[in-house]
Amino acid sequence: MGSPSPPPPLGLASVLPPKEAEEKKEKKVDYLNLPCPVPFEEIQREALMSLKPELFEGLRFDFTKGLNHKFSLSHSVFMGSMELPSQSSDTLKVPTAHYEFGANYLDPKLMLVGRILTDGRLNARVKCDLTDNLTMKINAQLTNEPHYSQGMFNFDYKGKDYRAQFQIGNNAFYGANYIQSVTPHLSLGSEVFWLGHQRKSGIGFAARYNTDKMVATGQIASTGIVALSYVQKVSEKVSLASDFMYNHMTRDVTSSFGYDYILRQCRLRGKLDSNGVVAAYLEERLNMGVNFILSAEIDHRKKDYKFGFGMTVGE
Amino acid sequence: MASRVSSKGKAKAAKGLKGSEESSAGRFVKEWSTWAMKKAKVVAHYGFIPLIIVIGMNSEPKPQLTQLFSPV
Repeated sequence: MGSPSPPPPLGLASVLPPKEAEEKKEKKVDYLNLPCPVPFEEIQREALMSLKPELFEGLRFDFTKGLNHKFSLSHSVFMGSMELPSQSSDTLKVPTAHYEFGANYLDPKLMLVGRILTDGRLNARVKCDLTDNLTMKINAQLTNEPHYSQGMFNFDYKGKDYRAQFQIGNNAFYGANYIQSVTPHLSLGSEVFWLGHQRKSGIGFAARYNTDKMVATGQIASTGIVALSYVQKVSEKVSLASDFMYNHMTRDVTSSFGYDYILRQCRLRGKLDSNGVVAAYLEERLNMGVNFILSAEIDHRKKDYKFGFGMTVGE
Repeated sequence: MASRVSSKGKAKAAKGLKGSEESSAGRFVKEWSTWAMKKAKVVAHYGFIPLIIVIGMNSEPKPQLTQLFSPV
Protein backbone atom coordinates (compact mmCIF):
# COMPACT_ATOMS: atom_id res chain seq x y z
CA MET A 1 0.00 0.00 0.00
CA GLY A 2 1.20 3.51 -0.68
CA SER A 3 1.62 6.21 1.98
CA PRO A 4 -1.69 7.52 3.37
CA SER A 5 -2.96 10.69 1.69
CA PRO A 6 -2.44 13.94 3.66
CA PRO A 7 -5.46 15.21 5.65
CA PRO A 8 -7.63 17.75 3.83
CA PRO A 9 -6.52 21.38 4.50
CA LEU A 10 -8.46 23.30 7.18
CA GLY A 11 -9.18 26.97 7.68
CA LEU A 12 -6.70 29.44 6.10
CA ALA A 13 -4.63 26.62 4.63
CA SER A 14 -7.43 25.84 2.22
CA VAL A 15 -7.39 29.44 0.90
CA LEU A 16 -3.62 30.04 0.55
CA PRO A 17 -1.66 28.35 -2.25
CA PRO A 18 0.31 25.31 -1.09
CA LYS A 19 4.04 25.85 -0.41
CA GLU A 20 6.29 24.43 -3.08
CA ALA A 21 8.78 21.73 -2.18
CA GLU A 22 11.55 23.63 -4.00
CA GLU A 23 11.39 26.50 -1.47
CA LYS A 24 12.56 24.10 1.21
CA LYS A 25 15.44 22.95 -1.00
CA GLU A 26 16.72 26.53 -1.59
CA LYS A 27 16.91 27.19 2.14
CA LYS A 28 19.61 24.56 2.54
CA VAL A 29 22.99 26.30 2.85
CA ASP A 30 25.83 25.23 0.61
CA TYR A 31 28.83 25.88 2.82
CA LEU A 32 31.26 25.28 -0.01
CA ASN A 33 29.73 27.98 -2.14
CA LEU A 34 29.62 31.05 0.06
CA PRO A 35 29.72 34.57 -1.41
CA CYS A 36 32.89 36.62 -1.25
CA PRO A 37 32.84 39.01 1.72
CA VAL A 38 33.30 42.77 1.48
CA PRO A 39 36.86 44.01 1.99
CA PHE A 40 37.87 44.41 5.64
CA GLU A 41 38.19 48.20 5.51
CA GLU A 42 34.70 48.47 4.00
CA ILE A 43 33.04 46.39 6.65
CA GLN A 44 31.14 49.41 7.94
CA ARG A 45 30.65 51.10 4.58
CA GLU A 46 26.86 51.39 4.66
CA ALA A 47 27.00 53.01 8.08
CA LEU A 48 29.83 55.32 7.05
CA MET A 49 28.06 56.38 3.86
CA SER A 50 24.93 57.33 5.74
CA LEU A 51 26.43 58.77 8.90
CA LYS A 52 29.59 60.48 7.70
CA PRO A 53 28.99 62.63 4.64
CA GLU A 54 31.74 65.09 3.69
CA LEU A 55 30.57 68.06 5.70
CA PHE A 56 32.36 71.31 4.98
CA GLU A 57 32.20 74.99 5.87
CA GLY A 58 32.39 77.64 3.19
CA LEU A 59 32.17 77.55 -0.56
CA ARG A 60 33.03 74.55 -2.67
CA PHE A 61 33.03 74.33 -6.43
CA ASP A 62 34.06 71.22 -8.36
CA PHE A 63 34.30 70.95 -12.09
CA THR A 64 35.04 67.62 -13.74
CA LYS A 65 35.71 67.54 -17.43
CA GLY A 66 35.81 64.22 -19.19
CA LEU A 67 38.09 63.99 -22.20
CA ASN A 68 37.17 60.42 -22.97
CA HIS A 69 35.36 57.82 -20.96
CA LYS A 70 38.51 56.76 -19.12
CA PHE A 71 40.37 60.05 -18.66
CA SER A 72 39.11 63.20 -16.97
CA LEU A 73 40.49 66.36 -15.43
CA SER A 74 39.04 68.09 -12.40
CA HIS A 75 39.29 71.62 -11.07
CA SER A 76 38.16 72.36 -7.56
CA VAL A 77 37.97 75.60 -5.58
CA PHE A 78 37.42 75.82 -1.84
CA MET A 79 37.06 78.98 0.25
CA GLY A 80 36.20 78.63 3.88
CA SER A 81 37.38 77.79 7.34
CA MET A 82 39.30 74.70 8.22
CA GLU A 83 39.34 73.54 11.77
CA LEU A 84 42.63 73.09 13.58
CA PRO A 85 42.80 70.54 16.36
CA SER A 86 43.13 72.41 19.64
CA GLN A 87 43.72 71.17 23.17
CA SER A 88 41.19 73.40 24.86
CA SER A 89 37.47 73.12 24.28
CA ASP A 90 37.54 76.18 21.98
CA THR A 91 37.53 75.50 18.28
CA LEU A 92 40.29 77.11 16.27
CA LYS A 93 39.28 77.98 12.75
CA VAL A 94 41.65 79.17 10.08
CA PRO A 95 40.32 80.74 6.88
CA THR A 96 41.79 78.93 3.89
CA ALA A 97 41.32 79.08 0.19
CA HIS A 98 42.81 76.68 -2.30
CA TYR A 99 42.56 75.49 -5.85
CA GLU A 100 43.06 71.85 -6.59
CA PHE A 101 43.83 70.34 -9.96
CA GLY A 102 43.24 66.69 -10.51
CA ALA A 103 43.59 64.07 -13.19
CA ASN A 104 41.84 60.69 -13.20
CA TYR A 105 42.47 57.70 -15.38
CA LEU A 106 39.95 54.92 -14.81
CA ASP A 107 40.48 51.62 -16.54
CA PRO A 108 39.08 48.27 -15.34
CA LYS A 109 42.63 47.10 -14.66
CA LEU A 110 44.40 50.31 -13.69
CA MET A 111 43.10 53.30 -11.84
CA LEU A 112 45.22 56.44 -11.35
CA VAL A 113 43.91 59.41 -9.40
CA GLY A 114 46.07 62.43 -8.63
CA ARG A 115 45.21 65.73 -7.01
CA ILE A 116 47.58 68.63 -6.46
CA LEU A 117 46.85 71.72 -4.39
CA THR A 118 48.21 75.25 -4.65
CA ASP A 119 50.45 74.71 -1.64
CA GLY A 120 52.21 71.83 -3.34
CA ARG A 121 50.56 68.90 -1.63
CA LEU A 122 49.94 65.89 -3.83
CA ASN A 123 47.32 63.21 -3.15
CA ALA A 124 47.96 60.15 -5.24
CA ARG A 125 46.00 56.91 -5.50
CA VAL A 126 46.91 53.99 -7.70
CA LYS A 127 44.97 50.75 -8.01
CA CYS A 128 46.39 48.07 -10.24
CA ASP A 129 45.04 44.56 -10.89
CA LEU A 130 48.16 42.45 -11.10
CA THR A 131 46.23 39.24 -11.74
CA ASP A 132 42.54 38.30 -11.53
CA ASN A 133 42.69 37.92 -7.78
CA LEU A 134 45.65 40.05 -6.69
CA THR A 135 45.32 43.82 -6.53
CA MET A 136 47.91 46.38 -5.55
CA LYS A 137 46.86 49.75 -4.16
CA ILE A 138 49.10 52.70 -3.40
CA ASN A 139 47.90 55.70 -1.42
CA ALA A 140 50.23 58.65 -0.86
CA GLN A 141 50.15 62.23 0.39
CA LEU A 142 53.34 64.03 -0.57
CA THR A 143 54.15 67.46 0.78
CA ASN A 144 56.94 69.95 0.31
CA GLU A 145 57.73 70.01 4.00
CA PRO A 146 60.13 67.25 4.92
CA HIS A 147 58.96 64.35 7.08
CA TYR A 148 55.28 65.12 6.55
CA SER A 149 54.69 62.84 3.59
CA GLN A 150 52.80 59.60 4.01
CA GLY A 151 52.48 56.58 1.82
CA MET A 152 50.87 53.16 2.03
CA PHE A 153 51.11 50.08 -0.16
CA ASN A 154 48.31 47.49 -0.01
CA PHE A 155 48.30 44.06 -1.56
CA ASP A 156 44.85 42.47 -1.68
CA TYR A 157 44.16 38.87 -2.50
CA LYS A 158 40.59 37.82 -3.22
CA GLY A 159 39.85 34.15 -2.70
CA LYS A 160 36.62 32.24 -3.26
CA ASP A 161 35.00 33.15 0.03
CA TYR A 162 37.74 35.08 1.78
CA ARG A 163 39.92 38.13 1.34
CA ALA A 164 43.39 38.79 2.66
CA GLN A 165 45.30 42.07 2.66
CA PHE A 166 48.85 43.04 3.49
CA GLN A 167 49.83 46.66 4.09
CA ILE A 168 53.19 48.42 4.21
CA GLY A 169 53.34 52.08 5.16
CA ASN A 170 55.94 54.71 5.90
CA ASN A 171 57.27 55.02 9.46
CA ALA A 172 57.70 51.24 9.26
CA PHE A 173 54.01 50.43 9.46
CA TYR A 174 53.05 46.85 8.65
CA GLY A 175 49.53 45.53 8.75
CA ALA A 176 47.58 42.51 7.62
CA ASN A 177 43.93 41.61 7.68
CA TYR A 178 41.80 38.65 6.74
CA ILE A 179 38.05 38.23 6.37
CA GLN A 180 36.11 35.03 5.75
CA SER A 181 32.48 34.28 4.91
CA VAL A 182 31.17 31.87 7.50
CA THR A 183 27.55 31.64 6.41
CA PRO A 184 25.78 33.34 3.48
CA HIS A 185 25.00 36.25 5.79
CA LEU A 186 27.82 36.33 8.33
CA SER A 187 31.47 37.12 7.78
CA LEU A 188 34.21 37.34 10.39
CA GLY A 189 37.54 39.04 10.07
CA SER A 190 40.60 40.08 12.01
CA GLU A 191 43.54 42.39 11.57
CA VAL A 192 46.99 42.90 13.06
CA PHE A 193 49.31 45.84 12.70
CA TRP A 194 52.80 46.80 13.83
CA LEU A 195 54.26 50.29 14.07
CA GLY A 196 58.01 50.06 13.77
CA HIS A 197 59.19 53.39 15.09
CA GLN A 198 57.03 53.35 18.19
CA ARG A 199 57.18 49.59 18.68
CA LYS A 200 53.41 49.41 19.00
CA SER A 201 51.32 46.54 17.77
CA GLY A 202 47.64 45.80 17.81
CA ILE A 203 45.09 43.20 16.90
CA GLY A 204 41.43 43.60 16.12
CA PHE A 205 38.39 41.49 15.30
CA ALA A 206 35.33 42.31 13.27
CA ALA A 207 32.04 40.67 12.37
CA ARG A 208 29.45 41.62 9.80
CA TYR A 209 25.98 40.21 9.45
CA ASN A 210 23.95 41.35 6.49
CA THR A 211 20.72 40.45 4.79
CA ASP A 212 18.92 42.28 2.00
CA LYS A 213 17.35 44.64 4.47
CA MET A 214 19.90 45.23 7.16
CA VAL A 215 23.58 45.25 7.97
CA ALA A 216 24.96 44.88 11.48
CA THR A 217 28.68 45.13 12.20
CA GLY A 218 30.84 44.99 15.28
CA GLN A 219 34.53 45.72 15.68
CA ILE A 220 36.82 45.46 18.66
CA ALA A 221 40.51 46.31 18.73
CA SER A 222 43.33 46.02 21.22
CA THR A 223 43.80 49.79 21.02
CA GLY A 224 40.73 49.88 23.24
CA ILE A 225 38.10 50.73 20.63
CA VAL A 226 34.74 49.03 20.34
CA ALA A 227 32.58 50.06 17.39
CA LEU A 228 29.12 48.76 16.57
CA SER A 229 26.84 49.83 13.78
CA TYR A 230 23.43 48.91 12.42
CA VAL A 231 21.84 49.97 9.14
CA GLN A 232 18.28 49.14 8.18
CA LYS A 233 16.98 49.64 4.68
CA VAL A 234 13.43 50.71 5.36
CA SER A 235 12.49 51.03 1.72
CA GLU A 236 14.15 51.54 -1.68
CA LYS A 237 14.58 55.22 -0.96
CA VAL A 238 15.11 55.37 2.79
CA SER A 239 17.64 53.85 5.11
CA LEU A 240 18.27 54.45 8.76
CA ALA A 241 21.60 53.93 10.43
CA SER A 242 22.93 54.00 13.95
CA ASP A 243 26.43 53.79 15.31
CA PHE A 244 28.11 53.32 18.69
CA MET A 245 31.76 53.87 19.51
CA TYR A 246 33.57 53.39 22.81
CA ASN A 247 37.21 54.29 23.38
CA HIS A 248 38.58 52.61 26.47
CA MET A 249 41.75 54.71 26.67
CA THR A 250 40.03 58.08 26.71
CA ARG A 251 36.74 56.80 28.17
CA ASP A 252 34.94 58.41 25.26
CA VAL A 253 31.52 57.18 24.23
CA THR A 254 29.74 58.40 21.12
CA SER A 255 26.53 57.23 19.66
CA SER A 256 24.80 58.59 16.60
CA PHE A 257 21.65 58.03 14.65
CA GLY A 258 21.09 59.06 11.05
CA TYR A 259 18.89 58.79 8.00
CA ASP A 260 19.63 58.63 4.31
CA TYR A 261 16.96 59.52 1.76
CA ILE A 262 17.91 58.69 -1.83
CA LEU A 263 15.23 60.33 -3.95
CA ARG A 264 15.04 60.92 -7.66
CA GLN A 265 16.35 64.49 -7.66
CA CYS A 266 18.25 64.66 -4.40
CA ARG A 267 20.03 62.79 -1.68
CA LEU A 268 19.51 63.98 1.87
CA ARG A 269 21.52 62.64 4.79
CA GLY A 270 21.11 63.78 8.35
CA LYS A 271 22.41 62.69 11.69
CA LEU A 272 22.05 63.35 15.39
CA ASP A 273 24.89 62.66 17.78
CA SER A 274 25.27 62.06 21.51
CA ASN A 275 27.84 64.89 21.59
CA GLY A 276 25.07 67.33 20.80
CA VAL A 277 25.87 67.58 17.09
CA VAL A 278 23.14 67.78 14.47
CA ALA A 279 24.26 67.61 10.86
CA ALA A 280 22.65 67.46 7.44
CA TYR A 281 23.97 67.17 3.91
CA LEU A 282 21.89 67.72 0.80
CA GLU A 283 22.87 67.01 -2.79
CA GLU A 284 20.29 68.27 -5.25
CA ARG A 285 20.43 67.47 -8.92
CA LEU A 286 19.53 70.64 -10.77
CA ASN A 287 20.28 69.44 -14.25
CA MET A 288 22.18 66.66 -15.98
CA GLY A 289 25.58 66.73 -14.32
CA VAL A 290 24.95 69.85 -12.19
CA ASN A 291 24.56 69.25 -8.48
CA PHE A 292 23.91 71.77 -5.76
CA ILE A 293 25.27 70.91 -2.31
CA LEU A 294 24.28 72.23 1.10
CA SER A 295 26.04 71.18 4.26
CA ALA A 296 25.21 72.09 7.85
CA GLU A 297 26.72 71.01 11.13
CA ILE A 298 25.53 72.47 14.42
CA ASP A 299 27.46 71.59 17.57
CA HIS A 300 25.30 72.68 20.44
CA ARG A 301 27.79 71.77 23.12
CA LYS A 302 30.72 73.74 21.73
CA LYS A 303 28.50 76.40 20.14
CA ASP A 304 30.13 75.84 16.75
CA TYR A 305 27.96 76.39 13.69
CA LYS A 306 29.19 75.37 10.27
CA PHE A 307 27.31 76.00 7.07
CA GLY A 308 28.55 75.37 3.59
CA PHE A 309 27.25 75.50 0.05
CA GLY A 310 28.66 74.43 -3.24
CA MET A 311 28.19 73.19 -6.73
CA THR A 312 29.49 70.18 -8.60
CA VAL A 313 29.57 70.28 -12.36
CA GLY A 314 30.38 67.24 -14.41
CA GLU A 315 29.96 63.55 -13.84
CA MET B 1 101.04 46.14 33.42
CA ALA B 2 101.91 48.38 30.54
CA SER B 3 101.90 45.39 28.16
CA ARG B 4 98.43 44.31 29.45
CA VAL B 5 97.09 47.80 28.95
CA SER B 6 98.63 47.99 25.50
CA SER B 7 97.27 44.51 24.55
CA LYS B 8 93.83 45.57 25.81
CA GLY B 9 94.15 48.74 23.79
CA LYS B 10 95.13 46.73 20.68
CA ALA B 11 92.21 44.30 21.14
CA LYS B 12 89.87 47.21 21.53
CA ALA B 13 91.33 48.87 18.45
CA ALA B 14 90.99 45.62 16.48
CA LYS B 15 87.36 45.19 17.62
CA GLY B 16 86.69 48.82 16.91
CA LEU B 17 88.01 48.43 13.37
CA LYS B 18 85.94 45.30 12.70
CA GLY B 19 82.84 46.96 14.21
CA SER B 20 83.21 50.03 12.04
CA GLU B 21 83.66 47.86 8.93
CA GLU B 22 80.37 46.05 9.56
CA SER B 23 78.54 49.20 10.50
CA SER B 24 79.92 51.00 7.45
CA ALA B 25 78.49 48.31 5.13
CA GLY B 26 75.11 48.53 6.91
CA ARG B 27 75.31 52.29 6.97
CA PHE B 28 76.12 52.35 3.25
CA VAL B 29 72.97 50.33 2.43
CA LYS B 30 70.81 52.50 4.69
CA GLU B 31 72.19 55.74 3.28
CA TRP B 32 71.80 54.51 -0.30
CA SER B 33 68.20 53.42 0.32
CA THR B 34 67.37 56.72 2.04
CA TRP B 35 68.91 58.62 -0.93
CA ALA B 36 66.87 56.45 -3.31
CA MET B 37 63.65 57.04 -1.38
CA LYS B 38 64.25 60.81 -1.37
CA LYS B 39 64.84 60.86 -5.14
CA ALA B 40 61.80 58.62 -5.68
CA LYS B 41 59.66 60.98 -3.62
CA VAL B 42 60.75 64.01 -5.66
CA VAL B 43 60.14 62.11 -8.93
CA ALA B 44 56.69 61.02 -7.77
CA HIS B 45 55.82 64.50 -6.54
CA TYR B 46 56.64 66.19 -9.84
CA GLY B 47 55.90 63.40 -12.25
CA PHE B 48 52.70 61.70 -11.07
CA ILE B 49 50.17 64.10 -12.56
CA PRO B 50 52.08 64.44 -15.88
CA LEU B 51 52.20 60.63 -15.98
CA ILE B 52 48.43 60.40 -15.64
CA ILE B 53 47.99 63.05 -18.35
CA VAL B 54 50.34 61.24 -20.75
CA ILE B 55 48.62 57.89 -20.17
CA GLY B 56 45.22 59.51 -20.57
CA MET B 57 46.06 61.38 -23.77
CA ASN B 58 47.30 58.15 -25.31
CA SER B 59 44.25 56.07 -24.42
CA GLU B 60 41.55 55.30 -27.00
CA PRO B 61 39.70 57.36 -28.27
CA LYS B 62 42.57 59.86 -28.34
CA PRO B 63 41.47 63.29 -27.11
CA GLN B 64 42.75 66.46 -28.76
CA LEU B 65 45.39 68.63 -27.13
CA THR B 66 43.05 71.65 -27.19
CA GLN B 67 40.53 69.69 -25.12
CA LEU B 68 43.12 69.58 -22.36
CA PHE B 69 43.08 73.37 -21.91
CA SER B 70 39.65 74.55 -22.96
CA PRO B 71 36.84 74.60 -20.39
CA VAL B 72 34.21 73.11 -22.70
